[in-house]
Amino acid sequence: MKPSDSISRRQFVSTSASVLGTFAIVSQHKAHAAGANEKVVIGLMGCGGRGTYVATMFAGRPDTEIAYVCDVDSRRFARARDAIEEAQGKPPKTTQDFRKMLEDKRVDAVINATPDHWHALGSIMACQAGKDVFVEKPMTHSAWEGRKMIEAAAKYKRVIQVGMQSRSCQYLRDARDYISSGKLGDVYLVRVFNMMQHPMRKKPAAESAPVPPGFDYETWCGPAPVVPYDPSRRWLDRWEFSCGAIAGDAVHQIDLARALIGDKPFPDTVCHAGGVCALTDGREIPDTQMVTFEFGKLTMLFESALWTPYMTKTPMDRRDKGQLPPNWAFNATRIEVLGTKGFMYYGRHGDGWQVFDAKAESVVAAPGRQADKEHHDNFIACIKNRQKPAANVEQGHYSAMLCHLGNISYRVGNKKLAFDAATETFKDAPEANKFLKRTYRAPWVIPDNV
Amino acid sequence: MKHLLCSSILAALVCQTASAQWLPVSNATAKLENSEMGGPFFKIEYELGVKDLSPAAPAYVFVRFRESANASWKLIPQTALRGDHDIVESGGKKKMLWWGLGSLGLTNAPSLEVRVRGIRMVRVPGGAFKMKIVPGGGYDESKTQVENATLPTFWMAKHETTVGMYADFLNETGKGGSGWHKHMAKTERCGITRGDNDTYTVAPGREKFPINYVTWYDATAFLDWCGLRLPTEAEWEKTLRGGLFLDGDETKKSPNPKPERKYPWGDEAPDAGGVWRCNGDGETDGFAELAPVGTFEKFPSPYGVCDLVGNAAEWTLDWYATSFHAGLDGYRMIRGGSFMDPHAGCDAVTGATMLPVKRSSIAGFRGLRDARTK
Repeated sequence: MKPSDSISRRQFVSTSASVLGTFAIVSQHKAHAAGANEKVVIGLMGCGGRGTYVATMFAGRPDTEIAYVCDVDSRRFARARDAIEEAQGKPPKTTQDFRKMLEDKRVDAVINATPDHWHALGSIMACQAGKDVFVEKPMTHSAWEGRKMIEAAAKYKRVIQVGMQSRSCQYLRDARDYISSGKLGDVYLVRVFNMMQHPMRKKPAAESAPVPPGFDYETWCGPAPVVPYDPSRRWLDRWEFSCGAIAGDAVHQIDLARALIGDKPFPDTVCHAGGVCALTDGREIPDTQMVTFEFGKLTMLFESALWTPYMTKTPMDRRDKGQLPPNWAFNATRIEVLGTKGFMYYGRHGDGWQVFDAKAESVVAAPGRQADKEHHDNFIACIKNRQKPAANVEQGHYSAMLCHLGNISYRVGNKKLAFDAATETFKDAPEANKFLKRTYRAPWVIPDNV
Repeated sequence: MKHLLCSSILAALVCQTASAQWLPVSNATAKLENSEMGGPFFKIEYELGVKDLSPAAPAYVFVRFRESANASWKLIPQTALRGDHDIVESGGKKKMLWWGLGSLGLTNAPSLEVRVRGIRMVRVPGGAFKMKIVPGGGYDESKTQVENATLPTFWMAKHETTVGMYADFLNETGKGGSGWHKHMAKTERCGITRGDNDTYTVAPGREKFPINYVTWYDATAFLDWCGLRLPTEAEWEKTLRGGLFLDGDETKKSPNPKPERKYPWGDEAPDAGGVWRCNGDGETDGFAELAPVGTFEKFPSPYGVCDLVGNAAEWTLDWYATSFHAGLDGYRMIRGGSFMDPHAGCDAVTGATMLPVKRSSIAGFRGLRDARTK
């Protein structure tokens, strides 16, 4: 291990220069219809709960218009269409085939709120069509897809913002600056928590069900195999469609931890422990995950479980009140940064941060607020000025990669694996490397040359 | 013996409209009388102007009162009444007695006003039925879904709550705009305007349309006001599909020919034979927007409940919980699809989540009377 791989202030500044406010210009290209005073025209891909929520927020802005609502399940249109119409006073068009929306030159940008297995392909197709992209997390379904998205964004000069909105919180910048100032001392250990409460899934009444009318199930499956239709949400527990809870939710935590320690891209090693322990309902994804990432001398320890009722996320009604959590130890989405001089708690849902000194006395207590609107502001600003957004495609790739690496370590038997940052492959581990890229089902294939 | 003022003004108004709103109630009177041993009581008499009521298709009658012109209106608890109240199975002259006045402290009886209102209901006999999960929509997996679920008898409103009924509610309770939102003023979608002194006016011709732009809390407030509640998803689904026996499990003489039907009318497509059976997306069914309640009354559920699918989707009592956000979402389920949904999605199983604070043009509600409190 290199001595320089803990973080000192100087190194921190040098490695975090591209995040959180200091953006590199990637292109002088102007969005074709979104001039400084023009409305940015957006299409929504995937109008489930999250997609509808995000699109409705954009619809309520004076500088954007939601022109399309796309979903393979036409039964989902009504709620999204109604909410967007109420927000912007104008109904969006609806289509089951998002490619029709991509053909519309009036559309500047796309919100991609599809399931995980459609994030990369849908985003790359949008880039190819000249659209900027707001893609929900996790940005990718497999490690290889992240590099392809970076290439697509560069080739087509597109802005990609990942829905990791915690990156736009002011209190993240403040906490990161505190760490980089050296007040915690040298940081060698970061503990990242993401604890949730998932129910045991019931046994389905039948192995498969008829596909409902109005639902294009084949397209919903997209790059994944067309498995028998199951009306429940069990697809979330299958590797073909999901990256599991670690990527589905905890990627927010991993992304924040990376931002706090200076956005180190890739670890030297990864090692997973845990598996399916409590929720033995036939799921593929683990319900208990402890992953160790080694970044030189700095170790990131990630813990996630789906069966901890005493450790909950901050309730919605507290998230924008500027309050510290009442009990950090039972906060489900906290990060602990351990330095040689001090200790920091950092919380995700507007929880702020708190620092304790060597005597375990609280020396800083800094409440925070969420930043959904600021994250959207940043996306729209970047569409107009062509700068890199706060949660840009590179950071989306690096953070999703940690999730994929942890899952792969689990899938090869909880083995410790060494990772080569240059080739983005595992060293001497062919059984692990086969999980870096999925098998695509034609015609829904991401080409090597995007 | 003291006399009291009895308001039948509202009843007279609703007499002029169709049965999709309040049932016609007229000649309402109330008198304070003394019993020999049980203390004073009010005798409330009224005339229910419908002839087609029956045990299977009764009325729900409730009474609200206020002590004086400046007092708030309150619901007389059904448990305090005896006689022709709550579920009433025939029309004509009716009488009920209101006991327990002393405990309510009603000392100023001469200025008391009462309002008698009725809603057309449908009886759903107790027994087993086929409960389906909800494809692609909300499904709380923490609940047990039983193949042949069983529910006790309940009564479901035949129609969704209308704009006219909701405006009546607002005029009694809507101080400071409570329960009302500016969206409701849109004539093409709802049509209730708020005037000075919190008076609420319905745009001409909108009375019979289903109320929309109501939050889940507005819907429950209206139903609390009536003494009803929202149906659960199971109750809603049984009403649509019918029990395994349409006469219930006590008699089991009338097997349901289609206990797993897709739509209230059966399995035929909503436009089979070129005849539209509900109001979904587009104009081909005759309605680009909402339709008056009962427009498709030729295609009711097996019990005769109208408009369960299409037109306005309906709030239910049930929470929604996804596995990823258990305990955090706070969503409630709406069922039945709406005028913005494809017709195929206006069916027995499709549902959607909605935050309870959401006011939507696609969502309304109907009331349910629970057998346990009957």
